[in-house]
Amino acid sequence: MGISDIQSQGIEGLDHNFLTAPLEKLVNWSRARSSWPATFGLACCAIEMMATGGSHYDLARLGMEVFRASPRQADVMIVAGRVSQKMAPVLRQIYDQMMEPKWVISMGVCASSGGMFNNYAIVQGVDQIVPVDVYAPGCPPGPETLLHAITTLHTQIENGELLKRREANGGAGAGMYIEQLDGQTLSIGAA
Amino acid sequence: MGYLAGFPITLKKWFEGVTTKNYRAGKGGKSDVKAPKPDRLHGRHVLNRYEDGLEKCIGCELCAGVCPAKCIYVRGADNNPTDPTSPGERFGFVYEINYLRCIHCDLCVEACPTEAITESKLFEFSFEDRKSAIYTKNELLVDEDGKPQQLPWEDWREGEDKATSGWMRATAPSGDSNYVGKVAWSGELGYGVRQPESVELTIKPKSGDSK
Amino acid sequence: MTATESSAVKATTGVPFTLNGQELHAEEGELLIEACDKNGVHIPRFCYHKRMESVGMCRMCIVEVDTGRGPALQPSCMLTVTPEMKVETESEATKDAQDGVLELLLANHPLDCPVCDKGGECPLQDNAFAYGPGESRFVEEKRHFEKPIPISDLVKLDRERCILCDRCTRFASDVAGDSLIHFIDRGSSTQVNTFPDHPFASYYSGNTVQICPVGALTAAPYRFKARPWDLTGSPSTATVDSSGSRVLVQSSQDKVVRIQGVDSDAVNWGWLSDKERFIYEANVSEDRILQPMRRAVDGSLEPMRWNDALKQTSEALGKKAAAIGGARLTLEAQHVWQKVLADEFSVVSYDASLGDDVSADVVDSLPKATYDWAFNAGSVVVVVGQDLKEILPSIYLRLRGVVKDGSVELVEFNYKSGSLAKLARKSVQSRPGELAKDVKQAFTATPGERSSDLNCLVDTDKPLTVIFSRPNVAESADYLTEALQVIQSVRPDAHFLPAFRRGNTVGAQLAGLTPGVREVATEDEIIVEQVAVVGRPTAEILQEAANGEVETLLLLGADPISDFPDKALAEAALDAVNTVIAVDCFENPSVASANVILPVAMYGEVNGHFVNSEGRLSPLGARVTAPGLVRSDLEIAASLAKTAPQSNSDAQSSLETSHMLGSEPIAWDLLELSSEGARIKTPTKPIQRVKADVPTVADGLRLVIGNKLWDQGTIVENSRTLAGLCETFKVRINPADADRFGLTAGAEIVVKNAKATASVPFITDSSVAEGVLWAPANVRGFDPRSFVTFSESVCYVEVSAGEQK
Repeated sequence: MGISDIQSQGIEGLDHNFLTAPLEKLVNWSRARSSWPATFGLACCAIEMMATGGSHYDLARLGMEVFRASPRQADVMIVAGRVSQKMAPVLRQIYDQMMEPKWVISMGVCASSGGMFNNYAIVQGVDQIVPVDVYAPGCPPGPETLLHAITTLHTQIENGELLKRREANGGAGAGMYIEQLDGQTLSIGAA
Repeated sequence: MGYLAGFPITLKKWFEGVTTKNYRAGKGGKSDVKAPKPDRLHGRHVLNRYEDGLEKCIGCELCAGVCPAKCIYVRGADNNPTDPTSPGERFGFVYEINYLRCIHCDLCVEACPTEAITESKLFEFSFEDRKSAIYTKNELLVDEDGKPQQLPWEDWREGEDKATSGWMRATAPSGDSNYVGKVAWSGELGYGVRQPESVELTIKPKSGDSK
Repeated sequence: MTATESSAVKATTGVPFTLNGQELHAEEGELLIEACDKNGVHIPRFCYHKRMESVGMCRMCIVEVDTGRGPALQPSCMLTVTPEMKVETESEATKDAQDGVLELLLANHPLDCPVCDKGGECPLQDNAFAYGPGESRFVEEKRHFEKPIPISDLVKLDRERCILCDRCTRFASDVAGDSLIHFIDRGSSTQVNTFPDHPFASYYSGNTVQICPVGALTAAPYRFKARPWDLTGSPSTATVDSSGSRVLVQSSQDKVVRIQGVDSDAVNWGWLSDKERFIYEANVSEDRILQPMRRAVDGSLEPMRWNDALKQTSEALGKKAAAIGGARLTLEAQHVWQKVLADEFSVVSYDASLGDDVSADVVDSLPKATYDWAFNAGSVVVVVGQDLKEILPSIYLRLRGVVKDGSVELVEFNYKSGSLAKLARKSVQSRPGELAKDVKQAFTATPGERSSDLNCLVDTDKPLTVIFSRPNVAESADYLTEALQVIQSVRPDAHFLPAFRRGNTVGAQLAGLTPGVREVATEDEIIVEQVAVVGRPTAEILQEAANGEVETLLLLGADPISDFPDKALAEAALDAVNTVIAVDCFENPSVASANVILPVAMYGEVNGHFVNSEGRLSPLGARVTAPGLVRSDLEIAASLAKTAPQSNSDAQSSLETSHMLGSEPIAWDLLELSSEGARIKTPTKPIQRVKADVPTVADGLRLVIGNKLWDQGTIVENSRTLAGLCETFKVRINPADADRFGLTAGAEIVVKNAKATASVPFITDSSVAEGVLWAPANVRGFDPRSFVTFSESVCYVEVSAGEQK
């Protein structure tokens, strides 16, 4: 580890050692406690997401009360609702505009898999366009389910690698890759 | 001075208790409680057993057929006559529910002819990947005492396994005339039978019935 | 639910009657239930079936009828409409009666609907829901029987569920003529069952499952495979034989799980043979070839890529090539294969048939009949050749029906009496080599000489239809041709109906995939300009191949080693050629010597069209996706065209358009459209004269190789349930012959001729003509084709008593 690495690569230049390990924990701890969500309420799930922010469940307890309208200031994208094919590129763009490190919660079955809308208009799982860290089931998930998902994500953040999160996990998302063989056969396998 | 009229309310609220449920904040502390749930909440499913331990599911696929989200996959198989899994000819051999599709509409519970599938009140669970969202029969089936399995990633609390296998009969009286028009509950392993709902549904008498 | 392709028409004249206060008309002698159906009033029923005699067993169709003597409850399926009849189907009395009937039917019916195959499409469920009381007053224990008992290899019977409607037993005895199931016992323990040790071994057993109004009869291949609400269906056509039966192919989870008969007025009346019904099992056979394979040096098969396989095929076809088979493909695939072979690769030797069926040229030159024309009341049907039950089983049922009720007269000419011999006006037993002679005798004898039973053949204005099939593969096909010529010369007004064994043989003829003189259309008009000789009979192809004059042999779903009459020649031919390319889905004896195997899609996996033996064009529906890397024939042929050395742009464009019917050579102009669908008009050409010699009688028996419905055909052999139905080899000899040669029943006999000697089991059978040794083709055990020499017109064998065991 050199100071020059940190200067050139920022915090990513840090190596693991007995000094940096507590620092890493500190960083993770602070990230988990101030992961501001990006508003991506697409349908009915958004109502439950709003309820989670309200006084009864009070997301502020988890340091998440600041729903940011600007993706630049957000850390967690809560995809709440069914993602239509038309919304998909928009969603991806917002995700791309978010600063690293960033996480995605897929809230509700429509976002997770299309739910009961198994049709041409709806993306069959938002993990086809962005890497999803936590899926919250339910139609819609209640505030408590969303809180469960959020705390699951927080545990992930706290225990996770500081950096290059996706590479370390071998890629996120639906875990599907497509391998093309000799120009004629397509085989789809799970990673 | 009219604009000050609102302040008394603010002050009053100051001295009322806190409305916030401190769910998931105290990490198991005293304040970490859930909001109370209604009796008929649709949560995670369970597959029930009879008192003698035999499974109720007969693998008829009616639940899969009625499911609007097509989240249930069932395959039946023939019972071994000497060591049956369920009473009768067939049993549910494969039973899977994809919780990333299930909308908890309870139509499967309505459709089930043997009251095998019911919904618990557990709704606090989430998954880190798609695969673990598919519950198999091993996870759905209740244990020998009729209590639902409490899986590590689910947030069960004291007393939440109560009233999970009971089934409210509102629309399917199963041919039993005692239950026509009455909201009643089926027997529940480990907890007995709950009292029928006090409110009786009013059903219009058939034209021609004279009373 | 039975799908139907017939349409009901509301009558405006006829017998006047009142239905629920509406003044309506019915036809003379029409049943009340039918009249109600036509007028859109549904009466619940269980036992009534449009295609069978009414019996009034279930009493469900009871309605209130007033014929002037006051209202009374009567079963509408037993009552013909009479003038001024007043019918109430929705009165209180009718409803009470329906309630009562259903309550009693349900008294003993188990409530295992959730695990019953019929649950979800069950008439009893539907009627109980729509007309039933809704509650049961019975608290007593229901009647119990042993849960499903197999009454045959294909059908299981659950007697608890039976409501004794008599549909299956009526079908078995009245329609199929196999009275193997009956009611036994009396009173509350009445049940349907078979005779002890006599299973319900009927070719038509699957129909009873389809018409059963409850789940009492279930089909072994479908049992617990899917639930009715999962099923999606496509209308299609059965292709196992040339009858063209209309079917509904149903699938669940992308697998074909059931085939149901569709009630088509013009063709199969809703009935199917078990072969047509259960053939889908082969689609999911474990032995199916799912990717292109090549033969390694050590003889084992190894997978290869499609690109390499097509390249290798294309190179091989560029050399001296010939093709056999293709009578089972869709019309479109046949058309494209013909184009690719003839235009792209300049292959001149191809034949869709395998030398074991009637020659295409003969069929082309005859005026055709439809089934309806043949079975119209007051006509005469002559069956020349094999038992229709073994070749076109579903059409046999229609023939049986009209012969049984006496509206059609039947005369048979064959070597072994058919299943209708007892009902026929006359069954003439002939012998190989003498068929034409016997037919001539029957048609030209003076009234004094001939039996009066044969009067229906000549000197009458009754329409005559000849249903003909190759009677024997061990003799020359010329005798049949000559016999047909005789009939045509005596009765020029006679119509002909070929009974081909292979499904789309007529399609192959239309597509030009069979040898013969072909009319070639010009580019823009369907005007016959040139006449060309195309193709070459299989026998010639195999002879040339055996002589080493063919380098590449392409097998389009063909198995010449099992089907070609001369087995030795077929084996020699496959040995002699350099490259054998098989387009097939399974390994069979011929594919076993293939160098390259191209896996092909099967029934239910391809769209297309099918032409039955009448010339009726009907669609084939694709219901499931082909598994693995399997491709359809059309795709294979089309991709071969792209790799062809001299790629012909005309053929390319024809390939692109051939997906649609209406591209040449089969244009809409050739189609005759009627209410029953499209039929292909086949032009009548002068018949080519054939004079077959009658060989001298040697001191022996003449070998007849006939077909059985269940044989070791590639598809049947790979169907789990059907494979076991194939019988073991046994020859049949007339008892008089058995006495003559001193053969004792139970022992094996030695059969020999110049080509082969074999010791085979035998039974005496008086339905076999004297002087004939009847042997089934392609069944388990011995293969009688080893006796056959293709160049000899009749095959003689000597028989002697074998060693006593």
